Amino acid sequence: MFTQLLVNGLIAGAIYALVASGFSLIYATCKFVHFAHGPVIALAGYFLYLFFSLLGLNFWIAIILAIILAAFFGLAINVLVYKKFRQRKASPVILLIASFALLILFESLILIFFGADVKTIGFIKIAKGSEFAGAIITPLQIVIIIASAVLFALLFLLMKKTKLGKAMRAVADNKQVSEICGISTEKIYNWVFIIGSTIAGVAGILVGLEQNLEPTMGTSLMIKGFTGAVIGGIGSVPGAILGSFLLGLVENFGIWFLPSGYKDAIAFIILFIFLLFRPQGILGKKNQSN
Amino acid sequence: MLTCLQLVKSFGGVKAVQSCSFEVKSNLITALIGPNGAGKSTVFNLISGIVKADAGKIIFQASKQVSSKQVGGEGINITNKSPEAISNLGMSRLFQKSRLFNNLTVKDNLLLAIDNEDTKFLKNLLGKNKITKEKEGSIKQILKLVEMESFENHIARDLSFGQKRLVELARAILNPHTFLMLDEPVAGVNPKLREVIANILLELKAKQETILLIEHDMHFTFSVADWVVVMQEGKVLVEGKPDEIKNNPKVLEAYLGE
Repeated sequence: MFTQLLVNGLIAGAIYALVASGFSLIYATCKFVHFAHGPVIALAGYFLYLFFSLLGLNFWIAIILAIILAAFFGLAINVLVYKKFRQRKASPVILLIASFALLILFESLILIFFGADVKTIGFIKIAKGSEFAGAIITPLQIVIIIASAVLFALLFLLMKKTKLGKAMRAVADNKQVSEICGISTEKIYNWVFIIGSTIAGVAGILVGLEQNLEPTMGTSLMIKGFTGAVIGGIGSVPGAILGSFLLGLVENFGIWFLPSGYKDAIAFIILFIFLLFRPQGILGKKNQSN
Repeated sequence: MLTCLQLVKSFGGVKAVQSCSFEVKSNLITALIGPNGAGKSTVFNLISGIVKADAGKIIFQASKQVSSKQVGGEGINITNKSPEAISNLGMSRLFQKSRLFNNLTVKDNLLLAIDNEDTKFLKNLLGKNKITKEKEGSIKQILKLVEMESFENHIARDLSFGQKRLVELARAILNPHTFLMLDEPVAGVNPKLREVIANILLELKAKQETILLIEHDMHFTFSVADWVVVMQEGKVLVEGKPDEIKNNPKVLEAYLGE
């Protein structure tokens, strides 16, 4: 039982962490809460459904196309909506409201185009899980853990070793000084949206393959990712990953004692506990909230 | 090199800069002095594009090729251009208050100032924007100049005030430029460091650099400046050579209220 819950917790945590890392990267750099990250996740899953299940494209080509479209979708949101608001000197609160509006808009569009019923991509037949130290784990679940670990490693290398990553951290640290150093903050914002949305696209595809597609899936995942990011320390990408794994584990170990319907309640109770007693999160710094 | 014409800037009801005109000549150190609230830092912010002017014009003449950055030939009207566009024309500045990238190392702070290749994603992805030996060499060289060689890998937030000042100065110097603006480089800095900074400025001048300086320390200002512009209540009160300014009754009155 323990190892099974541990495995389930790690899988849930990996998905939440994919959502939270992209979201947190955008928040840290652009300094506003991008709730429309949710529909980007959902759309990636639906794009895969469209290309693979409806149009019959090769599975791997469909996956690549879905990820690329998710990345461009995130970029388009930034260029066509957020950038216009920034040019009008809109505050982060206005951007947050705009992101909510986009979330509702895109969720409704998915509903109109794909319908409210649950969709199945159907590439992976129900596989018999293999037993690992007393826990059952399916091949897809192994892929989820490996894919997220690889993406986190790549994200770490990008942020720490490349000049683009250093420039992103510089803009996150001080936008004005970055501009004085000749860094184009708008270009950096574009890259942050592309990278964050690419990771969101991978999350959407993995969730779409493991579970099913439904129009509200992005919003539910976004809420979990947001909770993970707050627990870990909002604005810190490693914190968001850590917080998300913690959330996944606590949620799954919680149902050892409580009915599984309480899973979401457990997540919010942890969120409230952190907001009350450690609002800066695990890795966040106290002054970051100022 | 730089001409400010009839600059005007108000913040609400406060007229920070009113019809301010002056010129910065090439290869000289020009000092902008004046009592607190005279509008000096606002003029700096207007020149570097951080605040937008209500009226007036700023003409900048980039005189030589600056690294990989684009450089215009003749005088360019830079009024209300974005800070990054102005920086990429060859203007570099130091802020009054410490503004390093606190979460980055000293080396990374300097690296980001060297060129504007940071946003070229494919170059980054293919490893073509490597931190080359040449770039590392120039970072080491500049850190030696400001006597901070051993702090290369320190996180900026862990440095002392004086050390931060020196790294910021190094960053401003390293940022490819033809024109350097320094806002109170020796404020709150100990006498030994003041001497180090004064020597650096004189060395830069010897290399034909053009520097515009704001400083309250008159001893420091008069020891390095070739030309002094005195501001009061947002306007240029008087300008001239340091010796003329020192004994100018208008300047004494502005400072001492006599």
